[in-house]
Amino acid sequence: VAAAPPSLAFLQSVAAGQGVRVEEADLEPVVSFLTVLLPELDELEQLVPAGVVPAGLFLPPPDA
Amino acid sequence: VSVAELAQRLRAHELSPREAVESFLQRIAELDPEVNAYISVRPEEALAEATALERSRERGPLYGVPLALKDVIDVAGARTTAASKILAENVATRDAHVVERLKRAGAIILGKLNTHEFAYGALGTSPHFGATRNPWSLEHVCGGSSGGSGAAVAADLAAATLGTDTAGSIRIPACFCGVTGLRPSTGLVSNRGVVPVAWTFDTVGPLGRTAADCALVLETIAGHDPEDPSTLDVGVPRYSNLLAGGARGLRIGIVNALFERGIDGRVAAVVARAVEELRGLGAQVGGVEIPFLEQAGTIQQAMQFPEATAAHLRWLRTRLSDYAADVRARLLVGLFVPPTAYVTGQRARRLFYDECRRVFERFDLLAAPTMPVLPPRVGEETVELDGRPIAYRLTLIRFNSPWSLIGSPVVNLPCGFVDGLPAGLALVGRRFAEATVFRAAHAFQQATDWHDRRPGVAAASAPI
Repeated sequence: VAAAPPSLAFLQSVAAGQGVRVEEADLEPVVSFLTVLLPELDELEQLVPAGVVPAGLFLPPPDA
Repeated sequence: VSVAELAQRLRAHELSPREAVESFLQRIAELDPEVNAYISVRPEEALAEATALERSRERGPLYGVPLALKDVIDVAGARTTAASKILAENVATRDAHVVERLKRAGAIILGKLNTHEFAYGALGTSPHFGATRNPWSLEHVCGGSSGGSGAAVAADLAAATLGTDTAGSIRIPACFCGVTGLRPSTGLVSNRGVVPVAWTFDTVGPLGRTAADCALVLETIAGHDPEDPSTLDVGVPRYSNLLAGGARGLRIGIVNALFERGIDGRVAAVVARAVEELRGLGAQVGGVEIPFLEQAGTIQQAMQFPEATAAHLRWLRTRLSDYAADVRARLLVGLFVPPTAYVTGQRARRLFYDECRRVFERFDLLAAPTMPVLPPRVGEETVELDGRPIAYRLTLIRFNSPWSLIGSPVVNLPCGFVDGLPAGLALVGRRFAEATVFRAAHAFQQATDWHDRRPGVAAASAPI
């Protein structure tokens, strides 16, 4: 996960790769989100010990 | 009048289903132009359903009770707009699973309720259908995303309502509107026929005046649905038969961190007094620290952003300009969260879930403020905290994401006022321990009258 905020041009190319055409004006609030979120995701990755496996899309019954 | 009282009067023929429907329709016509809780009302259909009920011999537990649904829940033949331009003319061809169950129990659907666009925001201010106003102060938002569901209960525009909750969307409007609302355990209620936000966290739940009302509605809509793989066949007790028992002996853990930081001190004080009330009723109350609590918001966002974006990808490609700016921004964020972060979120969720399971070995319930701040004014997206403006969206994540992550039941209980606006206590239970949550909530409401307070707009005339 990259900690630095990505450029608008980079974001446009990533969006285009997924079939979404985005104007720069649409991306300005997105950059604000990512500036906070990406470093937090980076920190989260450091916190999770190696042996922990994913919870799964739906949680199992409580006694499982 | 509560759902239980109304159902009893209807069964005793003191009131006919048609009279009940007419009464609520009249009130909607009088008050909803100000509140804007409804996106669509179905007067002809509701009256016809009432007449058909009167002619039948069926007397279900919700016989003739008029309810209303957040407009992300399908009712066959009615529009499901999700308060969006994109689905503005979308007519459902089949009832959602929860609607099938409500109708089988004899409930009558008055209409569809306003929401934040696509249930993806916590203000309840769709630009396409207008903001829902808080019945306690029409200048303030009602919260969201199930804003219409909270406001309709507060203003007596339905006997009870259904909302949906991904990251607080039942609890937040229940808190801001001063009503009771329950986010059920994930896997208890089917999401079939409901517009998704993020499959991992989405759940349908009730909002009503009391915990007893919510229990009656929940026991009607809960249960395994073979068409929704997220539901589990865990058995659904009659919650309304399990309300008694009081709070004595229940072990309640106060989530200290949520009373100490990131919260309006006046709200914290009101909620702390509510916890003391439960202690006075015999609960054993003690403080608790939960590891990774501060990461819970990030964990949920790691999954929620990509899931919501995946659900909307076809419209992001073709109708991007038709979204409101705030929802468009949130949906675009999901394009840029790395796939590895989604998996990290799932792994961190396991970690947090296991920590909470250990906490629940020592406690039956956890107590926390439902919301840390008062509702913003309509048109504003910041609130003041510790004398400084802060984005409203950022205040609520710490208080709501932890309980969504672990799939636990959470009830909001009205417990006081600050500046004339409601504050709420959140009681969190073990997964599928709704009965314990309702038992404590009912004990609190038997001992207090916060849930009986009505806003000025609702006091003008009684619905029935």
